[in-house]
Amino acid sequence: MFSELFLPVLMVIFMLVVGGYAVAVLDRLVASALGTPQAGGIWLAPIARGAWLLIQHANATEAPDWRAWRLAPALYLALAAGGLAVVPWSASLVATDLVTSVVLWGSVEALATVVIFLHGWSANSLLALIGGYRYVALGLSYILISMFVLIGVALPAESLQFTQVVASQEGLWNVIRQPLGLPLFLIVGLGMTFWGPLNLADSTDLAGGTASEISGPPRLVWDMARAAMLVAFSGVAATAFLGGGLGPWLPGPLWMSLKMLAVLSVLLLLGRLLPRLAPERCVTLMWVVLLPLSFIDLVWAGIGALL
Amino acid sequence: MAVNWLHKLASRGSVPVFPVLGKQGDGALRHLALSPQIELVDSPRHASVLLVAGEIPADRFEPLRRVHDQLPYPFTTLWFRSEPWPHLERVARIDDLDDLPGALVTAHLELMEGCRGSTHRLLPDEPPNPWEGEGDFGQGGEGMMGGVPYGRPMAMNMADDIRDGLTLDSLTFRLGPFFFAFPPGMAAEITLQGDLVQTWQTQFAPYPQSLDDIFFNARERPVPIAEVELARARHHLHRLFHALHLAGLENVSLRTLRLAHGLSTSSTLDGLRRALSRSGFFRLTAGGGVLGPEQARMIGGSAARAAGMADDLRSEDAGYRRLGFSPVCQTAGDTHARWRQLLDEIDQSLHLARLAERDRVHTERTGSVETPRGPWSARRPADASALFDELLPGLEWGDALATVASLDVAGVADQPVGTRPSGESRAVRGGTGNDV
Repeated sequence: MFSELFLPVLMVIFMLVVGGYAVAVLDRLVASALGTPQAGGIWLAPIARGAWLLIQHANATEAPDWRAWRLAPALYLALAAGGLAVVPWSASLVATDLVTSVVLWGSVEALATVVIFLHGWSANSLLALIGGYRYVALGLSYILISMFVLIGVALPAESLQFTQVVASQEGLWNVIRQPLGLPLFLIVGLGMTFWGPLNLADSTDLAGGTASEISGPPRLVWDMARAAMLVAFSGVAATAFLGGGLGPWLPGPLWMSLKMLAVLSVLLLLGRLLPRLAPERCVTLMWVVLLPLSFIDLVWAGIGALL
Repeated sequence: MAVNWLHKLASRGSVPVFPVLGKQGDGALRHLALSPQIELVDSPRHASVLLVAGEIPADRFEPLRRVHDQLPYPFTTLWFRSEPWPHLERVARIDDLDDLPGALVTAHLELMEGCRGSTHRLLPDEPPNPWEGEGDFGQGGEGMMGGVPYGRPMAMNMADDIRDGLTLDSLTFRLGPFFFAFPPGMAAEITLQGDLVQTWQTQFAPYPQSLDDIFFNARERPVPIAEVELARARHHLHRLFHALHLAGLENVSLRTLRLAHGLSTSSTLDGLRRALSRSGFFRLTAGGGVLGPEQARMIGGSAARAAGMADDLRSEDAGYRRLGFSPVCQTAGDTHARWRQLLDEIDQSLHLARLAERDRVHTERTGSVETPRGPWSARRPADASALFDELLPGLEWGDALATVASLDVAGVADQPVGTRPSGESRAVRGGTGNDV
């Protein structure tokens, strides 16, 4: 009972907290390295911010959909937890080793669209609503590319189970076997987690977009959920393309942590180095450039699996 | 005990400040942007301190009250070079720019540690207009559409789409005069379909902007060209800082501000230009906003030159001619062309300043001057914000805001940037008489 129910739950909660904190620290480290000084110390600042948000009251807008508005951050956090639950840290250390874990991750991406729109719409406020619209308009293109790329890594594994995807990379990691896969998946990750150049839902031109009207604890949950989703995405990317916990000398979970940190660092660096894409250019990039590339990636993976 | 510990922890972070800009308040904003302890936020919901910077005209009092009441508890306010309203409790006024970051940090610290109570709301917590909805969902009782609950029309399909025929419900709203992406003081009534601007009516023009006093002096007497050009480059860099923040390039925007802060004849633009090109600022970000010839002429200055018009009063000054000045131009006349133009003009200004400093060249023509905002001959450059009404419909929201940022539309004030008041920061007595 303990090992089947409580241990996986504890493991996911641990990853949510440590992962969210790691994202906050890493992002500040990147900003600091790029010339933006950070107040309060890089290690303490995220905790101080969390404390401030706990003290600040949750505000009200005029006639919001209260239930949806308060639930949306928690639902997004739950989706991130669902994603983290299927990330294998080694062949045996995985919270939930579903045989369809790749499909579950696909559903997390699809449901994220619903939750993000709900967050923007339920505030009954203009800029939040536009943020929600934007995510829905662009979300489908991210999800399609992500699905093709993930089917590509499932083919050599002949399984939709992430632990099998890792096992199939014993000889050669997918990042080399399918060279288009990881770059495409990283771009999908920025879009799906609306981070940096693809942050069109919570963007500066919308004064925070879907989060423009939230304060206090709901904002803390939303920020934590966004960070946790980035961690979950990094876990899936490291599992699908970088061989998960595979590697010499070090134990599997340590290899996995290092690979996730590497993916996170790349995403956070891109987030600070690139400007936000115009939505129209974003749609063009997704449908005209990246989607055909994801077809090629899939054909490449299929031929590789047949040979 | 645990609560005290939480409050102490909260006071250790940066101070989230929402700036409300009055006349000449933008200098405070730029000063704070370079202060590591201060985090300037774009939404009042994300702030702990409301900073009123500069004098707020009486016709913006009502919007200020509404913004004030949007800050979540606990919050406090601080007024910089602006007289706090007499009925406000425990409100501090600061006049010295150097004291401002420290005062904000202290205000946040006191608020978190409980030494200072939260400011109270100014307006009653009730809808701004009476409930006028009918039907099950207050939609007006006419099917799913119509009705004006709380005095505002619901989003509904009232006009054809002006882009691609995909008609969505129109949503009309008012934004400003303290929306961070607008020029200070500007407010507009906007109708959107999705995120496409359908109509735009500028309701409040931005405050007249104060220029460096060197431009006022240049109209009266010969002045060193090096000083004029450094002031011009600084003005343009300040605008670029704002646009880069809007584009999500926070690091480069602060780098731009630092460059403006320490600008001298030995400064170069190469690093910043490279950083902007590499980031894809000119290719990937929101654009549009092409000016027609008449519109370009109406704004004048660098916006007109970005549209291919080589008008520049510096061409008529013998001092500038000796330095080999000729106007630089772009042709496209859109948002990206305007930023390229601005970078070229900053480069040119730095080059002219270097030459002028070396040869000690002064302006020779008085009575008129090419300001960074445009030509000032008989009349000061006037407000051109009405231009947005015809320029922005048809653009997506991101493109519209990028266009607003790229156009320097505010007129020029009749006074130069104020000299810094001397003396230390002081607290004034609020309406209830509590010293701060």
